[in-house]
Amino acid sequence: MDLTFSTEELEFRDELRGWLEANLPGEEPRGDEDAIYAFRTEWQRTLYDSGWAAVHWPQEYGGRDATLMQSAIFFEEMGRIGAPLPANVLGLLLAGPTIMAWGTDEQKDRYLTPILSAEEIWCQGFSEPEAGSDLAAVKTRAVRDGDDWVVTGQKVWTSGAQYSKWCMLVARTDPDAAKHKGLSYFLMDMEQEEVQVRPLVQITGEAEFNELFIEEARIPHANMLGEEGNGWIVALTTLMNERSGLGFFLQVRLRQMLDRLIAEAVANGKIDDPVISQSLGDMLERTETLRLTAYRGLSTIMKYGQPGPEGSLTKWLWSETNQMMTQLAVDIVGPQALHSANPWSYELLRARGNSIEGGTTEILKNIIAERVLGLPRK
Amino acid sequence: MQFDFTEDQHEIKRTAKDLLAQRSTSEKVRTAAESGSYEQSLWAELAELGWPGVAISEDHSGGGLGIIELATLLEEGGYALANSPLLASAACAIAIQEAGSDAQKKEWLPKLASGQVTGSFGIAGQTFPDLVDAAITVSVSPDGSSATLIDVSAAECNAVETIDPTRRYGEFSEADQSGEGMPGDGAAALDISTVIVSAELVGICQRALDMTVEYVKDRKQFGRPVGSFQAVQHRCAQMLLNTEAARSVTYYAAWSADADRSLLPEASALAKSSASKAGVEVTGSAIQAHGGIGFTWEADVHWFYKRAQMDAAWLGGTKTHRERLTRIAAAQAA
Ligand SMILES: Cc1cc2nc3c(=O)[nH]c(=O)nc-3n(C[C@H](O)[C@H](O)[C@H](O)COP(=O)(O)OP(=O)(O)OC[C@H]3O[C@@H](n4cnc5c(N)ncnc54)[C@H](O)[C@@H]3O)c2cc1C
Repeated sequence: MDLTFSTEELEFRDELRGWLEANLPGEEPRGDEDAIYAFRTEWQRTLYDSGWAAVHWPQEYGGRDATLMQSAIFFEEMGRIGAPLPANVLGLLLAGPTIMAWGTDEQKDRYLTPILSAEEIWCQGFSEPEAGSDLAAVKTRAVRDGDDWVVTGQKVWTSGAQYSKWCMLVARTDPDAAKHKGLSYFLMDMEQEEVQVRPLVQITGEAEFNELFIEEARIPHANMLGEEGNGWIVALTTLMNERSGLGFFLQVRLRQMLDRLIAEAVANGKIDDPVISQSLGDMLERTETLRLTAYRGLSTIMKYGQPGPEGSLTKWLWSETNQMMTQLAVDIVGPQALHSANPWSYELLRARGNSIEGGTTEILKNIIAERVLGLPRK
Repeated sequence: MQFDFTEDQHEIKRTAKDLLAQRSTSEKVRTAAESGSYEQSLWAELAELGWPGVAISEDHSGGGLGIIELATLLEEGGYALANSPLLASAACAIAIQEAGSDAQKKEWLPKLASGQVTGSFGIAGQTFPDLVDAAITVSVSPDGSSATLIDVSAAECNAVETIDPTRRYGEFSEADQSGEGMPGDGAAALDISTVIVSAELVGICQRALDMTVEYVKDRKQFGRPVGSFQAVQHRCAQMLLNTEAARSVTYYAAWSADADRSLLPEASALAKSSASKAGVEVTGSAIQAHGGIGFTWEADVHWFYKRAQMDAAWLGGTKTHRERLTRIAAAQAA
């Protein structure tokens, strides 16, 4: 067991730190989504130009062939220095790895580089009004017509669709097949009249996500990813990538938030309140547990090629902790934490989404019980 | 970075698990608990294998390995609920190694390492595990700033009956009366004992979880295994989360004791706050998931609950250690 970084890992980190110090942009704009998006696009271009956009990607597609550990270091450093997220998060974390795993050579050549350079932004069109946790229940229909598929249906909660060129779309190609077997995975061009994007305002007042109304949109057969009828398996690849790497970024941000709270409690004397002190101790325990469990999970994957039981736990623990911590902020900062101008108010509201997006906590617990502990399904 | 045991460490852990599965069966644990005495042959065998002195330096006839190796043995000891003075005696030896004078080390470490005598360790005025039969004890102040070596035969101490009959506990009649001062680092001694009892708690949690998963797969109500009910499944998922959380921080703390002492105070507080919570919650959950059977003397889950309660309280529980974590972080922030 060695919990220090190796020389190579330190070299990687120091190179990155040096680059970040020279290239980190200023403060991200607040409130205005278009301005935020433009800012993040610019930032991703900067990353791309220096080869830092996707360190975990193979070199042939513009990555650095980084190890999982280096990738974790990358995200930790980004979090630590307060770097913005790149504009094309879903492209980099979800679409790219899914295309690498399932795509033909033509598809890889066509899509991967523009993902990296933020020239083409991606969104994830999985959820539907009647298919959320029960994702395999999607109803959006795709019917073959010559070299095309004609797609009709509705998607919902599609984050970033308003900026996206492409959509990872799961649609039903065989209504007669069993639920999980009748699906196919498409790369859908968002720039067509037949796809209408309508913003959905969320509890923070922003509109990160959208509804998609798809009315006889045409997708060339060449844009199917994986085989016809194999969409569920391809979608699982996307879902399994949902948290990789980004978890390290989020965990560092969480710890920074906690450090701010502790400093505040020291400054206003609440640190001496035994109830506050207990709650902060709980948060310290949780944030360290997250960091260490994430590294332990990574070591397991690197050594054994597959995740251990710890891998399924961190998203659950992170979302719960973020919610508890933003709630604790109201006690420590006081009621001003709920004033709109106070950044904590945003954090408190945004945290509610954490236990829903990317699979609800209840679904994660089901997966842990059934797949990790091997308990019987109903 | 490699947050996993080395091959050797895995091997030690596996061997310990296999051995204890044979030597410390549920029947043996029960017999020892009900008779209030340990099986001497188990201790003799563990001593023969060098377990009590695994982390004692070779200069003092120990195994010369680290706290990580000791922690893996204690984890497996907790898993099997092995009835032996291993925790107390190893804690005593580590304390003498950390805090003792050269003469104290020379006199006691070889005997403790070989298992020829046993020792105990605790916080002055509190409960000491395996005290009465020990030859020697280290008693520390609550913050570890002072440590005293007490010759048990010369001191007045009594056995105390606790909720946990799988281990024998004692206390001194008058705290801190006799004994020799120890010149070294009592705080490190206390921190390391805190880490190794956390490791025992991790083992207890893992066993309680394994027993529960096995039981709920098997037990049927309403025509199906109770483990197919979501409330039961989510309880089990929570047990896994608590166990793995405690495991992450405990391994980290054991590593810090071996590799980076500057991290040890915070890491040991992390380990114990997490492991105490996990120990109490996971074993309590195990009783609940077993239903009425879980509440009987007949079933074995209660032994784990009882040991977990004692371990969780020993050297400070979750509240004590969370408070400590906050104090450390506040000092860094100030
Ligand atoms: C901020 C945010 C961004 C998102 N971005 C995207 C995106 O970009 N693309 C995309 O496709 N989707 C996205 N989603 C959708 C997200 O994946 C779904 O909201 C989520 O999977 C839950 O589905 P649902 O909303 O239909 O809730 P439901 O599935 O209807 O769940 C309602 C409640 O029932 C519980 N429940 C459901 N089934 C079970 C069960 N079997 N056992 C126990 N409890 C159960 C759930 O846990 C939940 O508490 C986003 C969501 C949020 C909040």
